[in-house]
Amino acid sequence: MYAFILAGGFATRLWPLTEKRAKPLLPLAGKPLIDHLLEQLPADLPVTVSINAAFERSFTQWKAQGNHSRAGILVEQTHKDTEKLGALGAVAQWITRDHITEDILLLTGDNYFGFPMAQFLTQYTPGTPLLAAHDIRDLRRAQGFGTVVPLPDGRHVAAFEEKPAQPNSSLVSTGMTILPAAHLPLVVEYAQSKPDNVGGIFEEFLRRSIAVEFRAFTEPWFDIGSFESYLEATRSLVGDHVLLGHKAACTETEAEGSVVLGNHSVIRHSVLRNVILFEHCTVENCVLTDCILDDHCTLKGIDLSRQMLREGTTLERK
Amino acid sequence: MSRPRLLLLLWLCTDILLFAGLFCVAYFIRVGFVLSTNFPFLPFLTTALLVAPAWLLVLLTTRTFALTRNQRTVRNAAYIAYAALVGTALFTLAFYFRFKTSFQGVSRLLLLEAFFLTAGGVWLWHLVFDVLRRMILRRSPPSFPTLIVGLTRESKALIAQLNQHLNPLTPVAILDGQGAKEAEVDGVPVLGKLDRLEDVLVHHRITHMIQCSNLEQSLNLLSACRRRGITYMLLPSVLGIVERDEQVESLEGHAVTVVGPEMRGKWFFR
Repeated sequence: MYAFILAGGFATRLWPLTEKRAKPLLPLAGKPLIDHLLEQLPADLPVTVSINAAFERSFTQWKAQGNHSRAGILVEQTHKDTEKLGALGAVAQWITRDHITEDILLLTGDNYFGFPMAQFLTQYTPGTPLLAAHDIRDLRRAQGFGTVVPLPDGRHVAAFEEKPAQPNSSLVSTGMTILPAAHLPLVVEYAQSKPDNVGGIFEEFLRRSIAVEFRAFTEPWFDIGSFESYLEATRSLVGDHVLLGHKAACTETEAEGSVVLGNHSVIRHSVLRNVILFEHCTVENCVLTDCILDDHCTLKGIDLSRQMLREGTTLERK
Repeated sequence: MSRPRLLLLLWLCTDILLFAGLFCVAYFIRVGFVLSTNFPFLPFLTTALLVAPAWLLVLLTTRTFALTRNQRTVRNAAYIAYAALVGTALFTLAFYFRFKTSFQGVSRLLLLEAFFLTAGGVWLWHLVFDVLRRMILRRSPPSFPTLIVGLTRESKALIAQLNQHLNPLTPVAILDGQGAKEAEVDGVPVLGKLDRLEDVLVHHRITHMIQCSNLEQSLNLLSACRRRGITYMLLPSVLGIVERDEQVESLEGHAVTVVGPEMRGKWFFR
């Protein structure tokens, strides 16, 4: 089996945090989101990370840091959102180019999976497509995901609907799937017409009477695609704590909810509630609520709520 | 010199000449179309020309020449009338101090006529100039390419109004925080999400940006505008103020948006 991590998106909704880095490289509870994924993968599983050319530099830096040498980087030569191949298109290109003939564990790099991946892998029936599902218990929210309608056996999928207007189930696909080797030619064929529809391949399997299995998990799972979901994931992982990075300091500060300080970030005389500071930030005499500050931001004497600040932003009350 | 500056200069010069000219018209209406020796024309003309810059200064303080000011409003007419009143008073004083002996010629009726002529004439000229200015500033390439951020009902209505009234602020591009299905609104292209901000600012040579929806990236928009010398505007609807009854005032030096209780005739003072 091979693991293939989709990290080729441009994450435009999370601009400006994703101006220079891909979503999977956003720090989540003290380390890049993609590291949470890699840590869960079996050590002997070959890993390929599919990225776009615009973020090649940030991934090269990431690979050079820490223990990421096992991850191979596959660069899709796209520089803009409008040029991208599509997630399934990237998978198909890789299958064809590298002559992949083994099962593929397909993972979306911007998802956080709280459930044990090893358990998911042991539940795989060879030759049967498998997807990890999570019950979000909200039919309206399910409109934004691929939904899984289960058969009564609680193991097989009766129907898969990609972003349905009226969902029949709140069980949603999480972006962790196994594509069996036997069905890879179908994946490549389907990707030619629907390169951006990863969920659609399951509709296609079912349409061709290929059984699809699912495993439902109750552990936390986050699809980090927006400001809210990023903060929510941080709140869930960090809890009501202050998480300090290397050489980070938080003095004479009142912290509530989840507060994360990246390496070399400093906070003094401030009141913070659910705040994420990336690296080398300085915050003095501020009141911040639900804010995310990119690297090298400096705030002095400012009250802010619900803001994402671009790298290098300096705001000082005069 | 840029088109807007040239137009403004032309506007100010024509206003000065118009002010002095209308005083001369008042003179001839009163005295008759002859050059009187009892009440000589030259002192009258030089005084009018002397007072004209001061009158223009008063008019400037009312922000009548501002880019965002619509000339076709009662409030604007009131400002012009106010400046005309001050201009007439200044003329009276100046003439009195300069030519005490001839002051008898400056009758009350002449002053009244001068006031009405300058108030009415200047307003009419401003209406005409406003139409010309809008047409000239909108000519391709527009003088004030404007970026609309946020695709909402309010922003759609704003774009339609700016285009319909040929406002000098010409919407040339739209960006939306979450992306939008529409490819264009009233002929203005929707170019994507905010990751394209810098591209759009440079490529379209944006001079004005109007934020129309609530965004987590607001401060970044503001910073980008400051860095590039772009004028940033915020629709009050972003704060939920949609009834067009807000005002921006100063509270001990702090700019504040004010929505006060209903008051008859309040529009006049805005």
